[in-house]
Amino acid sequence: MSHNWGMAVDLDRCTGCEACVVACHSENNIPTVGATEAARGRAMHWIRVERYWEGEFPDVKVKFRPVLCQQCDTAPCEPVCPTYASSHSEDGLNSQIYNRCIGTRYCANACGYNVRFFNFFPPAWDKPLHLQLNPDVSVREGGVMEKCTFCIQRINAGKVASGMAQRPLMDGEIQPACVQSCSANALVFGDLADPDSMVSKLAKSPRGTKLLEELGTKPKITYLQRGSWDDSQNK
Amino acid sequence: MTRRTSNSLTDDLLRPVLETSTKFYVTTALLALIVAAGFGTWFYQIYFGLGVTGDNWPVFWGLHETNFVFWIGISHAGTLISAILRIVNATWRRPVTRCAEVITAFALMIGALFPLIHLGRPWLAWWLIPYPSERLLWPNYRSPLVWDFFAINTYLLSSLLFLALPAIPDFALIRDRTTGWRNWFYGKLSLGWQGTPKQWHRLESAMHMMALAIIPIAISVHTIVSFDFSMAVVPMWHSTIFGPYFVVGAIFSGIAALNIVMAIVRKALHLEKYLQPIHFRNLGKLMLAMSLLWGYFVFNERLVTWYGNTPHEMAALWSTQMGRYSPLFWTMIVCNFVLPFPLLTIRKLRSITATVIASCGVVVGMWLERFLIIVPSLSYKGTPYSWGAYLPRWPEIVIFSSSFAAMALLYLLFSKFIPIISIWEMKVGEHPHIKVAAEVQEAEAAGELI
Amino acid sequence: MTGVYGLFSTPELAQEAVDGLRASGVPDHEITIQSSEPLEEYAFGSRDRDTLMPWIAVLGAAIGMATGYFLTSITQQAWPISTGGMPIVTNWSNLIIIFELTMLGAVFASVITLMFSARLPRRLPKFYDREISNGKILIGVADPKEIDRVEHALRESSGGVRKMELQR
Repeated sequence: MSHNWGMAVDLDRCTGCEACVVACHSENNIPTVGATEAARGRAMHWIRVERYWEGEFPDVKVKFRPVLCQQCDTAPCEPVCPTYASSHSEDGLNSQIYNRCIGTRYCANACGYNVRFFNFFPPAWDKPLHLQLNPDVSVREGGVMEKCTFCIQRINAGKVASGMAQRPLMDGEIQPACVQSCSANALVFGDLADPDSMVSKLAKSPRGTKLLEELGTKPKITYLQRGSWDDSQNK
Repeated sequence: MTRRTSNSLTDDLLRPVLETSTKFYVTTALLALIVAAGFGTWFYQIYFGLGVTGDNWPVFWGLHETNFVFWIGISHAGTLISAILRIVNATWRRPVTRCAEVITAFALMIGALFPLIHLGRPWLAWWLIPYPSERLLWPNYRSPLVWDFFAINTYLLSSLLFLALPAIPDFALIRDRTTGWRNWFYGKLSLGWQGTPKQWHRLESAMHMMALAIIPIAISVHTIVSFDFSMAVVPMWHSTIFGPYFVVGAIFSGIAALNIVMAIVRKALHLEKYLQPIHFRNLGKLMLAMSLLWGYFVFNERLVTWYGNTPHEMAALWSTQMGRYSPLFWTMIVCNFVLPFPLLTIRKLRSITATVIASCGVVVGMWLERFLIIVPSLSYKGTPYSWGAYLPRWPEIVIFSSSFAAMALLYLLFSKFIPIISIWEMKVGEHPHIKVAAEVQEAEAAGELI
Repeated sequence: MTGVYGLFSTPELAQEAVDGLRASGVPDHEITIQSSEPLEEYAFGSRDRDTLMPWIAVLGAAIGMATGYFLTSITQQAWPISTGGMPIVTNWSNLIIIFELTMLGAVFASVITLMFSARLPRRLPKFYDREISNGKILIGVADPKEIDRVEHALRESSGGVRKMELQR
C-alpha cells in the first residue's frame, strides 16, 4: 500500500505563534546558529512563519504564512543534484540523503520556496543542550544540505507500529512535530492517497490554493484561506 | 616584411627559454607567495566550513561560482584564435596562437578548481566520476553539474593536447640547440621528432582535426556552464538566451585577457618584432565585434524581462537597474561597452595601449557580469520574506586574487620552459609562397611593421 | 652501414638534390628528408600526404558516441531510483554527455593516429643532424647501394657531403 503524504495549512487559523518552528527544531536536531550567524542569514528554520505587514498604523494588518518544504511532485531540486542526494521516495516525499550530499547547494538555488538549508559550519550544541537531541534523527555534519522531511522518523515509527499491531494506519495517527504542536490546529497532515483522510478533503476545498503554483512544481501542501491573499507582490 | 633569417627568429624566440633574469626569480617568488596564500585560505575554509565565506540563505552562490564562470569564460580565448583562425587560414594568427592556447589551458585548470572550492564536502568530489561502485549509484546525468564535469574535462584534455602537439617540433629545436640537462629534458619531450615530411603532414592533419573538434567543444562547454543557471527556475536565470549569451561573453572576455597577456609578454620578453600593432588591431576588431554582440544580448535579455513585467522577475531586474546592485551594473556597462567602443573604433585613439586599456575594462566588466547574473537573482527568489543579500568576505577575496596570481605564475613558468611563440609556425609564415594576409601587406605598406 | 646526406640552406637547393638523387636511380622511399618546418609548397616536401586520419577521427567519434549512450542509459537503470514519475532514462539530457564523449573520441583518435603514423615516441634515430634546427634541410640516403653515385648527386647541389655511421 503506497502512501502519498501531504499537508494542509489553514491560514485563517494560523496565529503566527511559531510553536511549529520551535517544535521542529527540537524534534529534528536543527542547530541554532547563534546571533552572529543568524545576522549573516544562516538561520536554519525548516518551517518558518512568514510575516507580512500591510497598511499604516493604526490600520495595520499582519498576515502569517508557515512555509516548509512543499515535497513537490516535480521537484526542481531533484534533477539538479549531481549525487542523487535530493531524490524522491516511494511515499511521495522529497528525501534529502545526507550521506550523499557533497554540498554544491544547487538544490537550494533551484528551490523556488527557499526551504532548503545548508550547514555552513558543523552544528554544535553547548552542554547540556546535547542531552535533548532526538535519537531518532541523525545529526548532520558541516557542508551538508537539509530540509523538512515531514518528520519521516515519525512516519516510519507510525508505519512500524501499525504493522506490528497488524492494522492499517489511521488518519491523524502520524503527526509531524509542527502539526502536533500547532495551538490553533492550523496544520493538518495525512495521506493524500486515502480519499477519506482529512487532508485529502481539505486539498479539494474551495478555500485551497497552492503556493507559487505557477512554477509548475506541483507542491503537496494546500494553503486554505477565505478570499485571496490579496494580489500584491506577496503572492 | 624584412626577411629575418631563420636563425635570428629562432634566437629571439628561444632567448626567454635559454636565458633567465633576476626579475624572473623575483616575480615567480612573489606570485608563488600569493598562490600559497590562496591555497592556505582554501584549506582554512575546508577546515572551518563554508561559513567563513559570505554565502548565506538564500544566496548560496557568490564569489566562488562567479570566479568559476569567469575563468571558464577566459579559457575561450585560445579556441577562437587558434582553432577558428587556423581553419579560416588567417595567417596573422601565427605569433598569437600559442599565447592564446596557453591561456586556455591554464584558465581551464584554474576554473576547474572552483567547483571543488565551492563544495561543502570537497573530499567527496570524486563521486562525480562515473565509476562502478558497490552501491550501484552513478552520478546523476540529469544534473548540469555533471554535464559541467564531462564538458570541462573534455575541453581541458583537448586543449592540453592542442597545446602540446604543435610544441613537439619546438621541443626538438631546443633539444638540438642545447646540451646538458636541457638536451635530455627536451629530448624526452620531443618524443624523437625528426621533421620528415610524413611527420609534418600527420601533425598538421591532427591539428586540423583537433581544431575542427575543439570549436564545438568550446561552444558546448560554456553553454553547459550557462545551463547551471538556466536549468533552474530562478528569476532571470530561466531564459533560453543564456547559452549564446554566455558563449559570446566568454569569447569577449577571452580576447580581452589575450590582449593583456600579449602586451605583457611583448614587453617582458622583448618580442616587439613579433607581436606587432597589427595583431592588437585585429584582436581589437574582434573584441569590438564581441562587445557589440554582448551588448545586443544584454539589451535583449533586459528588454524582454522588463516588457514581460512578471512580478516573479521584476524585483531581481530592478535591483540591478536602479537598486542595490545598480552601481555594479552600470560600471559593467561602462567597462564592457562605453569604454572599449571609442578606444577601438576611433582611428586616432587606436594603439596597443588603448587596446590594453579597453581589455582591462572588459575583464573587469565581464567579472561583474558573472557576479550580476548569479547574486541578484538569488537575492530576490521566492517569497519576499525569504529575500536576502550577499557580501563577500576575506576568504573569497583572497582566493579570488590568488587565482589571478596563479594564472600569472603558470604563464610565467610556461614561457620559461616553452617558447611562447610557436617557432616552426612563424617559419612557415615566412615562406614566400604563403599568401600573406592583406592586412599585413597593408600594414607593411603603411610602414607600421617594425 | 653508412648514411650519406647533405645539408641544404634553401628549399630550392634541396629540391635540386632530391631531383638529382632520383635521377641517379635512388627510389623515393629511400630518400630521407628532414627539416625544421613543413615545406609543403615544394614537391619534395609534399610526399606522404595521404592519410586516413579524418576517417579514423570519425571512427573515434562513433566509439565515443556509443560509450556515452551506453554509459548513461545503462547506469541510469542500475538502481531502481524513484524519480517521482519523471523519466528515468533521460535521453535529452544524456545527449549532452554523449556529445562530449563523441568529441573526446574524435580528439583521442586523431592524437593516437598521429602518434602511430609519425612513429612517436621513439628514440631519435642516428640519421639526424642537429644543424636541421639551424634551418638546414637534410636530404640523404640511409644505406645507399652505390655510395659514389649518391655522393655525386648530392655534391652537385650543396657545399659538402657528409657521411655518418649508422647502427641498424
